[in-house]
Amino acid sequence: MDFNLARGVDLHMIPTKQFKMNHVLIDFATPQTPTNATARNLLANLLETSTHRYPTQTALARQLASLYGAYVNLYVNRLGKMHTVRLRASFVNNRFVSEDLFKKISELINEILFHPLIDDGEFDGPTFRIQSNNLKSAIKSLYDDKQFLANQRLMSLYYRDDSVMQVPSFGQINDLDSLTAKSLVSTYQSMISQDKVDIFVLGDIDLQLVQDVFAQLPFKDRLVNSDSPLYHQLAYDQVQRKTEYQQVSQAKLNLAYSLPIYYHDQDYYAALVFNGLFGGTPYSKLFTNVREKASLAYYAASRMLPFNGVVSVQTGVQASDQEKVQELIQQQLIEIQQGNFSTETLKEVQDSLINQYRAGHDLASNVLEQQLVAKLVNESNNDFIAEIRKVTSADVSRVAKLMKLQAVYLLSGEK
Amino acid sequence: MDKQVYQKFNQSIYREKLANGLKVQLLPMEGYHKTYAIMTADFGSIDNHFIPYQQKDAITVPDGVAHFLEHKMFEKEDHDAFDLFGKLGADSNAFTSFTQTSYLFSTTSNLRENLDVLLDFVQDPYFTAKTVKKEQGIIGQEIQMYEDDPSWRLYLGILGNLYPKDPMRIDIAGTVESISHITPEILMDTYKTFYQPANMNLFLVGRLDPDETMMWIKQNQQQKVFAPAEKPQRLFKLNDPTAHDVIPFRSLTMDIVRPKVMVGLRGTKQFSDGKERLHYKLAVDLLLDVLFDDTSDNYLRLYNNETLDDTFSYNFEMQRGFHFAYFSSDTNQMERFADEVIEILESADQQIEAARTRFEGIKNAELGRLIGLLDSPESIANRYAGDLFAGANLMDEIQMLETVTIEDLYQVAQEFITPQGISVYQVVPQHQ
Repeated sequence: MDFNLARGVDLHMIPTKQFKMNHVLIDFATPQTPTNATARNLLANLLETSTHRYPTQTALARQLASLYGAYVNLYVNRLGKMHTVRLRASFVNNRFVSEDLFKKISELINEILFHPLIDDGEFDGPTFRIQSNNLKSAIKSLYDDKQFLANQRLMSLYYRDDSVMQVPSFGQINDLDSLTAKSLVSTYQSMISQDKVDIFVLGDIDLQLVQDVFAQLPFKDRLVNSDSPLYHQLAYDQVQRKTEYQQVSQAKLNLAYSLPIYYHDQDYYAALVFNGLFGGTPYSKLFTNVREKASLAYYAASRMLPFNGVVSVQTGVQASDQEKVQELIQQQLIEIQQGNFSTETLKEVQDSLINQYRAGHDLASNVLEQQLVAKLVNESNNDFIAEIRKVTSADVSRVAKLMKLQAVYLLSGEK
Repeated sequence: MDKQVYQKFNQSIYREKLANGLKVQLLPMEGYHKTYAIMTADFGSIDNHFIPYQQKDAITVPDGVAHFLEHKMFEKEDHDAFDLFGKLGADSNAFTSFTQTSYLFSTTSNLRENLDVLLDFVQDPYFTAKTVKKEQGIIGQEIQMYEDDPSWRLYLGILGNLYPKDPMRIDIAGTVESISHITPEILMDTYKTFYQPANMNLFLVGRLDPDETMMWIKQNQQQKVFAPAEKPQRLFKLNDPTAHDVIPFRSLTMDIVRPKVMVGLRGTKQFSDGKERLHYKLAVDLLLDVLFDDTSDNYLRLYNNETLDDTFSYNFEMQRGFHFAYFSSDTNQMERFADEVIEILESADQQIEAARTRFEGIKNAELGRLIGLLDSPESIANRYAGDLFAGANLMDEIQMLETVTIEDLYQVAQEFITPQGISVYQVVPQHQ
């Protein structure tokens, strides 16, 4: 059930009695630029720390605790080229408590979004300094996760040097120094008045009440950027390769392929099945042949990014085996291209995707995410199950032939 | 089949102990698409010293046997159980902890067939020298993967400090060296001892019809012949139950950027039954919230002087035979973090007194969080700990939490926090 609050600001309500918690998701979307990701991540941290009425994080946390442990947080994400700041809130149904939590939560959301701790055109100084330092530390320690690090380095190798995607959605440390308590106010104003806004409310809710309450939020009309979020780049003729050395027990070998099939393209479902067969499910070629049969890796999986036109492969291996593993991965792709897989395996992969899809309805956060993606690309939901079942072996092989190896990154412990 | 209704949560649970001793619980959830099933053996990585089923002499098995067994259960002579689930459209998995081994699947179709696969593969061991050897390669990689994870090293490091001569100090998966000593015979002795139906429980949550499901389970079990039950003879004994063997401090250097520190606190209380244990756990959970949660003045002060940051977390673990809490953060002030945490713990009484007005809010917040878990079939089933908490499920836990008072917090603080139980572990960047 949709309701337009202002131009570019939409409310979507999903009534259900399935859950004991209610959920709110507010998405602010704008195209990523070379500089906005870091600023917007810092902004998200500032907004969730304090407000005018709750000027310390303790004051805000105490208010949340008084609402039966209600949870509100802000974070950044990216869908293709679209950078998003998201507010997530969840709170128990009114039937477990003796007060109207929805009203109080929406007041708090109003406070967080429209009454941030800004005075004289600047965010509160001490809060700004701490959050800026913390973000610096947080970005640094992300890279202590070696699987994460290997994946970031791979994508950086994959994206062309001048691509806006070179800046991760969570930002980069070097940009932090140029941000000030004042510049963040412009970041805030730009987000609150110009981003495309989608508000989702899911749970055991009173539709009229939800509509009335959110209609009171002071959102103004805005011109929404109609650029597609899909990211395209010209393929490299030569595979980009890079090896780095750190003290790790297990080498991380990651590969990136271009696969120019995007969300809800005609071949989208065939690509999903292909990825499931290649490395996206436990019944995949990578899992069964690289991990189970050859016993070469503890993990070997692929991931498809349908807004970016990329399929990436992640493995954890012995450094000395890395060439063998690369060959084995390439061989799995060729097998699929040549149709060397049983219809039985194909069906397993399809069933697995369908099982995941159905089970996804039992997870509120997943329902919200799916609805959000559909709204961001203005697509109506297709019949997922029927579309997956329609995919044939020939479709999968055809899609596999579009895969083009673009980048190989190795994080190794042995020189 | 015994039925218990939880009016407040609009939910019911169905229970039965089968003739062979297997304990079954079914919790239907209206509106759900999936069914989650988990079968758990009361057996984990610390159970390495025992008298094998129908034998006389105790044996000590290599570290990592429970986890190794978990991997090997899936593989049979002519098939892999994992593939059977796949053919039936289910996702399956397994995990091993210090005291439990669990096998699970999640499905939106073919519930009965998947249930048969679960019961059959867990109750039909098949180990050969060849398959054991292959698994040594895979698990070796898994162990190495964890070795590169600083958070896991921090956690295992503090356990090594708190229990320096007990099996908890070793990675659940064992070491590359220890698993090289595992043989099919060891796996079989272990299996026979701990995988008896009477030492296991089966928990299903989600879309299910209780009568039909219970009938399917019984039909499956009635077709099989089980060896006579014999209570597992574990010889687990803490090296020093008074915790005077705790190592106060150690550190480790890794190729990382941010220093990480963890303070551990080992408890020594013995419990007479599961109810008492659960009550104690819930009271300690609230105590830690009072001392350290983000509504506390301690947290704000330490956050603002950058002793800790958003990575700060704390947790209390109650397991069979031992319990401990830990507090950790990424920080550039590792000594200060440890000093501050220890000082707060040691002044718990004053802290509780000062938190009187916050207590109801903290308790409500904890209640809200637990109610939130009721939306997750996995959380409900995985949280169930059998005899450890006298068979209490998440709904029982919520009801017991409601009875915890601030006076209980004084009591558990006094019992739990002792100077000899405190320890610090650091993971330090190499280039500092």
